[in-house]
Amino acid sequence: MAREATRRRVLTATAVTLPLLAAGCKGIAALGPPPKAAPDVAVARDAMAVETQLIAAYDAVLAALPALAGTLHPLLAQHHDHLAQLRARLIIPAGHPLPAASPGAKARRGPPVPTAPAAALGQLRAAEDTAARALLAHLTAAPPSLAQLLASISASEATHALILGTAARHT
Amino acid sequence: MTTGGQAAVAALQHALAAENSAVYGYGVAGAHLTGARRATAVRNWVAHENARDTLAAMLAARGARPVAAAVAYELPFAVHGAAAAVALAAVLEDRLSAAYLGLVGLTGPALREFGAQGVRTAALRAAAWRGSTLAFPGLTVPAPRAPGPASQGSGSPAPSSPAPGSPTPSHPG
Repeated sequence: MAREATRRRVLTATAVTLPLLAAGCKGIAALGPPPKAAPDVAVARDAMAVETQLIAAYDAVLAALPALAGTLHPLLAQHHDHLAQLRARLIIPAGHPLPAASPGAKARRGPPVPTAPAAALGQLRAAEDTAARALLAHLTAAPPSLAQLLASISASEATHALILGTAARHT
Repeated sequence: MTTGGQAAVAALQHALAAENSAVYGYGVAGAHLTGARRATAVRNWVAHENARDTLAAMLAARGARPVAAAVAYELPFAVHGAAAAVALAAVLEDRLSAAYLGLVGLTGPALREFGAQGVRTAALRAAAWRGSTLAFPGLTVPAPRAPGPASQGSGSPAPSSPAPGSPTPSHPG
């Protein structure tokens, strides 16, 4: 008897839920606007944009000066790791392209690549320094684990600048 | 003391313990280095002593008793030569990166900034010793590894070690 009552309750619940699902988007819209993104989503998005821009800068230098591949590839690989970790913090809703995938990211061109390898390395070094600072700008706004990720990536970028500076002196 | 205060004290103590072991470790590493690398080791050694004092003062200001340094520390591997000394210095800095990242996990903005600076400084020193970088300093700490059989013989060059000739970490003091 009790079990039957439970089953009936389940059936009732389903009957109420089904029309809502069947109504699709309209049904969801009836619930009101979707909740705003949490502040840490904006922080992670900003950080992803920083990484995307750096990756584009490395790609541009590598295209112009392939001889720098030995120096640049390990650093570029770490930027891809950074981007992957940041992306893993987000569940991107449909219709919101990732910064990496957005066509706008490509359109925003950086400065032209200098022809001298040392100057190109210097340009990347400056970009790394800027990125390292930009990542720390949101340090206090981020939740603890994201703050730690930002601080770690920022430190990694500072070390990239160190390596690039050393390489520039030896080219 | 609040829960946040207790977490801050625990994280500061952890960083202090890492600085204490770095002071000891650089003493060992410096003894096996010469020239520019020895000069860097000495400079870093002094910087770690200063950092230790700063952390002790921060703990005292919070009414906590700073953890005392041990008389000696167990090293992650035997250090008999320059290559192992350089590897040890990198390991010490990796551990400091992790310890300072603990401060970034706190809620106080000032401690977060302080921790982030600590991670940055340690990561820069580790990269200078190693000649290569990590993607996530402090988050993923590489296992301490002795640099092969090259650790025999003091002052011998390290064929497999990417140690730079003159590591000059760009850190503020």
